[in-house]
Amino acid sequence: MPRHWRAPFSFILSVFILPLCTSAANSFENTAIVRTVELGGALVHVTTTYAVKALEDGSSVYTIALAEREQAHTSWLEAKLKGESERLPLEDFGYHQDSGVFLYTIELPKALNVNQTANLVIETVQTHATYAWPEEAGQKEGQSLKYETELLVLSPYKTAVQRTKVRSPSPQVHSYTVPEEVEFTTDAVATKSGATITYGPFYDIPPSATSEFVDKKQKHITVHYSFDYPVLEISKLQRAAEISHWGANLNIDDKYWLHNAGPRLKGHFSRLDYQTQNYFGRPGPHTIPSLQLHLPAGIHDVYYYDLVGNVSTSRLRTTPSLPKGAEPNQYSVLELRPRYPIAGGWNYSFTLGWDSPLEDYAGYDKTTGKYVVSVPIMTVIPGAVVDEAEVTIILPEGATDVDYVVPWPALSETLSTHITYLDTVGRPKITLKYAQLTDKHGGNIYVTYKVPFSAHLKKPLAVATAFAGVFALALAWKRVDIRISRK
Amino acid sequence: MPLAYTLPSNLSPATVANTSSLLRIVALALISGAAIASRLFAVVNFESIIHEFDPWFNYRATKVLAEKGFYEFWNWFDHTAWYPLGRVVGGTIYPGLMATSGVIYNVLHALHLPVDIRNICVLLAPGFSALTAWSTYMFTKEMKDESAGLLAAVFIGIAPGYISRSVAGSYDNEAIAIFLLMYTFYCWIKALKTGSVLYGTLTALFYFYMVAAWGGYAFITNMIPLHALTLILMGRFSSRLYTAYSSWYAIGTLASMQVPFVGFQPVRTSEHMAALGVFGLLQIVAFAELVRAHVSSKQFQSILFGSVIVIGLLGVFAFAGLTYKGWIAPWTGRFYSLWDTGYAKKYIPIIASVSEHQPTAWPSFFMDLQFLIFIFPAGVVLCFRELRDEHVFVIIYAVVASYFAGVMVRLMLTLTPVVCVAAAIAFSSLLDTYIDPVEPEVPVASTEAETPARDSPANVAPGSATTSKKAKKAAAADASSSGLASGVLAALSPSGKSAKPRGIFGLDSRALVIANALGMLLFFVLHCTYVTSTAYSSPSVVLASQNPDGSQHIIDDFREAYYWLRQNTPQDAVVMSWWDYGYQIAGMADRPTLVDNNTWNNTHIATVGKAMSSPEEVAYPILRKHDVDYVLIIFGGLIGYSGDDINKFLWMVRIAQGVWPEEIQEPNYFTAKGEYRVDDQAAPAMKNSLMYKMSYYRFAELYGGNQAVDRVRGQQVPKTGPTLDYLDEAFTSENWIVRIYQVKKEDPLGRDLKTANSFDQGKKRKKSKPLSRRKAVV
Repeated sequence: MPRHWRAPFSFILSVFILPLCTSAANSFENTAIVRTVELGGALVHVTTTYAVKALEDGSSVYTIALAEREQAHTSWLEAKLKGESERLPLEDFGYHQDSGVFLYTIELPKALNVNQTANLVIETVQTHATYAWPEEAGQKEGQSLKYETELLVLSPYKTAVQRTKVRSPSPQVHSYTVPEEVEFTTDAVATKSGATITYGPFYDIPPSATSEFVDKKQKHITVHYSFDYPVLEISKLQRAAEISHWGANLNIDDKYWLHNAGPRLKGHFSRLDYQTQNYFGRPGPHTIPSLQLHLPAGIHDVYYYDLVGNVSTSRLRTTPSLPKGAEPNQYSVLELRPRYPIAGGWNYSFTLGWDSPLEDYAGYDKTTGKYVVSVPIMTVIPGAVVDEAEVTIILPEGATDVDYVVPWPALSETLSTHITYLDTVGRPKITLKYAQLTDKHGGNIYVTYKVPFSAHLKKPLAVATAFAGVFALALAWKRVDIRISRK
Repeated sequence: MPLAYTLPSNLSPATVANTSSLLRIVALALISGAAIASRLFAVVNFESIIHEFDPWFNYRATKVLAEKGFYEFWNWFDHTAWYPLGRVVGGTIYPGLMATSGVIYNVLHALHLPVDIRNICVLLAPGFSALTAWSTYMFTKEMKDESAGLLAAVFIGIAPGYISRSVAGSYDNEAIAIFLLMYTFYCWIKALKTGSVLYGTLTALFYFYMVAAWGGYAFITNMIPLHALTLILMGRFSSRLYTAYSSWYAIGTLASMQVPFVGFQPVRTSEHMAALGVFGLLQIVAFAELVRAHVSSKQFQSILFGSVIVIGLLGVFAFAGLTYKGWIAPWTGRFYSLWDTGYAKKYIPIIASVSEHQPTAWPSFFMDLQFLIFIFPAGVVLCFRELRDEHVFVIIYAVVASYFAGVMVRLMLTLTPVVCVAAAIAFSSLLDTYIDPVEPEVPVASTEAETPARDSPANVAPGSATTSKKAKKAAAADASSSGLASGVLAALSPSGKSAKPRGIFGLDSRALVIANALGMLLFFVLHCTYVTSTAYSSPSVVLASQNPDGSQHIIDDFREAYYWLRQNTPQDAVVMSWWDYGYQIAGMADRPTLVDNNTWNNTHIATVGKAMSSPEEVAYPILRKHDVDYVLIIFGGLIGYSGDDINKFLWMVRIAQGVWPEEIQEPNYFTAKGEYRVDDQAAPAMKNSLMYKMSYYRFAELYGGNQAVDRVRGQQVPKTGPTLDYLDEAFTSENWIVRIYQVKKEDPLGRDLKTANSFDQGKKRKKSKPLSRRKAVV
C-alpha cells in the first residue's frame, strides 16, 4: 500500500528523539548486525539485519545511522521486521551535526521491554555507487566495476557482533581491500569464498554514530569485480499520462534518455566485430543490444519512435486486460531494440507510449461522487536507475476537486492547466518531479477528481457552435450582394 | 426529334440544376478523397516520414518557422550548411511552401489542435492535390463544361505523373506549385474572358504565391506572354486582353520582386524579358488602335509601317545592348540545357548528375499518364474546333509542355495538367456524343419501324440493326445539334459523302462505346493505383524488403547511422559526405555538413569530390583544412543497394576533374580495357581512392575467408582489403549501408600518420627512409 513516510507520529518523536545520540543511546543494544551488499551495475542492494535488544522498558523508537557516502547514494530505504511484510514507519532526521551521520528513526509496532528482542531488516538501494574501472574498455573486452563502502555499520547503540558480506554477481572478483589495523577482531578481517567476500565478524563495538569513531576507527573498502550486464542509466524520463473520459482511455507517453554508464568504448565501434561476437554467441557485456520491458496488460496502440521517426525494430506480445482486483502478474512484453547497439558511454533517446482501457485504472466512488484513477509512476526497467523523472497527469477537461496521493514523496509538485485538442478552458495537470528512482520505486499515484456532466458536453458544444457560426457566415455571405453595379 | 432512350420530362429545370450542382459537389468531394487517399500509400506502408532529400531541408526550415516565428526564419543564417561558408536561408529559398505550412500550423494551434509540424509537412502535398483537382476542374470548366471539368479533376487527382511529386511525405515545392499553376492559369483565362481587373489582380496574386513557392514560376512568366503574343498575332487583340495582361504583369511583377530570392530578376534576366516585351508590345498595339480610331486608314498604314520597323529595331538593340552591358543577365546554364540536352553533361556535370534532369524515356510517358497520353492529341485537336481565346492557351501549353517533358524527366510534372485537361475535353466530348439520346432524323417511312424498338428495350438490338440500315439511306442528319464530337466526325468525313446521315443510331452502338470508355477509365484507375503503390511511394530513407515468411522487413540503416551521429558525436562535429546526403544529415543527424543538395557552389562540391577520389595522403590535408571530423559514405555492396557511392563515384570524379583537370582524370579510374571494376583488376587510381578504401575497409573479413562478393556490381572483392592510415572506422550500420569514418587528428609526436600507424603495428621502418628529425623546441 502506498503510504506517506511522514507518519503522524513524527511530531511526538521529534520531542524526545532529537537529542538522542547522547541520551537515548542506552535504550537499545545490537546483539548482531549483518550487512549484505548485493553488487550490481547502476543499482546496489544493501540489506542490513539488526538483532536488537531493549535495555529500557517501553523502547519503541529505534535509530539507524547512515554515513555520508551511503546517504549520498541511497535512494530507497525500507524497514521491516524480519519475516513480516508490513513496512515500518520511518522518519528522516537528516544530517546530525554533532555526529556527522544521517539519522533515521523507525517506530517499532509495539514497544519492547527490557531484554525483549526484535529483528529489524533495513533494505536500501544505492544508485551510482559503482563506477567503471578501467574507465574505458574495448569492444571485445570485458567490463569491470568498482564499489566503495565503509567497513563498519554505524549505529548509535553498542553492538555485540557485526559482519559485512559483499556478494558479487560473478565469481570473478579482481581485487578487494583487506583493511589493516582493524580493532574489534583477532581473526582475518576478510575472507573470500566464491563470489562472496565476508568482512568480520567484529566484536564489541561501542556506539559508532559519532564523528570521532568515523574518523578514527572506520575503514574504507573497495571491491573490484567483473560485471556481465550493461550498466543502464536513464538520465531523464518524462512520463505524461492523459486521462480521457470520452475515449475511455488512459494514454501513457514516456520519453526516455538512455545512457550506457558502463566503461566508455575504447577506440571505435566496429560492426564487423559486433556481428562476429553475436555470431559466436559472445556479445560484449557492456553493449546494450536490446531491452525487455514489462508493460501493463491490456494495452493497445503501442508506439516506439525517436527524433527521426518510427523505430521498426521492436516486438510486442500483448496480454488481455486482467479482471479487476487480480494480482498484476501478467504483462505485455515489449522487446525493444534501439536503432543501434548502445556501446559504453553512448546515448539513445526515444519515446514509448501506449493506450489502455480506462476501466483498468479507474473507479468511481459513489459515496463521494469522485473518480479514482491510478497512474503508475514508471515502467520499471530492471537494474536501471532513473536520474531525473517528471510525471505529469492530465485530467479530463472540467475536472474539479483534484486530489492525489503519491507512493513516494516528490521533489516538487505543481498543479497547472494544459490546453490541447479543442479545449476551451483547459485541463488540470499535475506535475511531479522525482530523482534517483530505482526498480523498487514502481508504484501508483492515485488521483481523485470530480467531473460534472456539463463538462463532458463542453467540447461538442464548442465545436457545434463554431460550425454553426461558419454556416451562418456562409449563409449571410451568399445573401449579400456586394456588386457595385447591377448588370 | 427521335430519341434513343426516353428522358424523364416531368422535372423542373430548377430541380435539374440543383441536383446536378449537388452531384458535382459530391463528385468533387469524392475526387478530393480519392486524390488524398491514393497518396497515402507511403504512410500506410511505412510511416509518416519526410521522403527523399530536398524535403528534409524544407522540413527543417519549416520547423524553424514554426518554432521561432517568421522573422527568425526570414533572417535565419544556417551555420551548419556549406561549412565553413554557411547559408543565408531566408534569401536563398522560395519560402512559399514553408509559409503555407507555418500558417496551417498556427491556425490549427490557435484552434487548440496540437498537430505535429511533421504531420502537417507530410500531409501537405496530398491536401494540396485535392485543391489541384478542384482548380483543374475550374480551369477545364472554362474550356468546355462542368462534365469535362469533373473528368479533368479525376485525371489530375490520380495521374501518376503528378502523384510522383506529391505523395504524402514528398514535402517539396512542387507539392503546392501545381495547384498554384493551375489556379493562376484559371484566373488568367477568367480575366481574359471577362476583361475584369479583379481577375487580373487575382492572377497576379496567385502568380506571386507561385513565385514564392517554386522556381518553375518562370513557366507562367513565359506562358502568359506567349499566349498574349499569339492572340495579338492572330489579330485577336481586345481591350479584355489589354486589361487582363496589364493588370497581371504590373501587379504580378511588382509582387514577385518582394521575394528576396527573386529580387530584381524580373527586370534583369533574360527569362523574364518576354513578359516585359509583350507588355510593351501590348501598349504599342493599344496605342495603335487608339490612333487608328482617330486617323484615316491610309495615313495609319504608313504610320504603322514606319513605327513597327523603328520600334522593332529599337527593342532588339536595347535588349542586345543591355545584355552586353550586363544589365540583363544572359541565359543560365539550366536554361540552355532545356534546348540542348547534351549541354549540361559537357559544361555543368552537377546538373547532369541528377537523375531527374535526364531526358525522358518513352515508356515513362505511358507509365505516368497511361491512356491520357493517347487521347491528349485528340483533345488538342478538339480545341481547334472552336478556337476561342482560351483554347489557344491550351494548345500553346500543350506544345510547350510536351517539348519540355521530352527534355527533362522532372518537367513531366508540368505536362501532366494540360494532358489531363485536353484528355478530359476529348473524353467528355466522346461521352457527350454517345450518351446524348438524340438520334439523327430518319425518313418518315422508317419511323414506325423504330417506334417499338424504342418502347421495349429488350428489342433494341434487332431494332437498331434495321434502323441503321435505313438510316444510311436517310440524309437528314443534324450535325450541329448532336454535339461537338459528331461535328468533328462531320468535319473529318470527306465532303463528298456529306449527304449521308451522320450520327449515332441505336442503344447498342452507344452501349458499346460507353462500355469501352468506362473500361479505359477503369484500367486507368488500376494502372494509377498500381504505379503509385509500387513506384512512387517509397520514402527512400527507409527501404523495404521481405522476410522469408513474406512479412515486411524494414531496412533502416540511414536513420540508424544518422541517429547515431546525432546522439553520440559532439554537436559541432563536421560531417563530410557526397552532396546527396547533405540535407538528410542536417535534418536527421543535426550536424554541420560540407556540401548539401542546394548545389550553389560547384568548387566546394568539387573539393569533396577531389577528397573522395584522391589517395589518403592527398585527401587528408583537404579534410583537415575543412575541419572534417567524420566522413560518411553509402555502401550497398553487402545487401545490394544499388544507389550507393561507388556507383555515383564517377560523377565525383567528373565534377572534381572540372575544377582540377591536372590532378583528377576520369580515364584513370577505368581499367586498361575501359571497364569500371572494383575487384583485383581495378585501376590503381580507383584502388587508392579514399572512396574505394572506405567502402571496402574490412569488407572481405566479413566473409570469414570465403570469397567476398560485392552484390551491387557482382564482382569479387580482393581478399586482403584496403587499409586506412588517416581515418578510423567510427560506425557502420546494420547492413553496412552507411559507413562513418572519423578523421584522425595529427600525430602528437609530429610523425605523419602513416608512419605512426606502422610503428603502432610493430612494423619496422624502412631503412631507405631518412630519419625524421624532431623539431627543435622553441
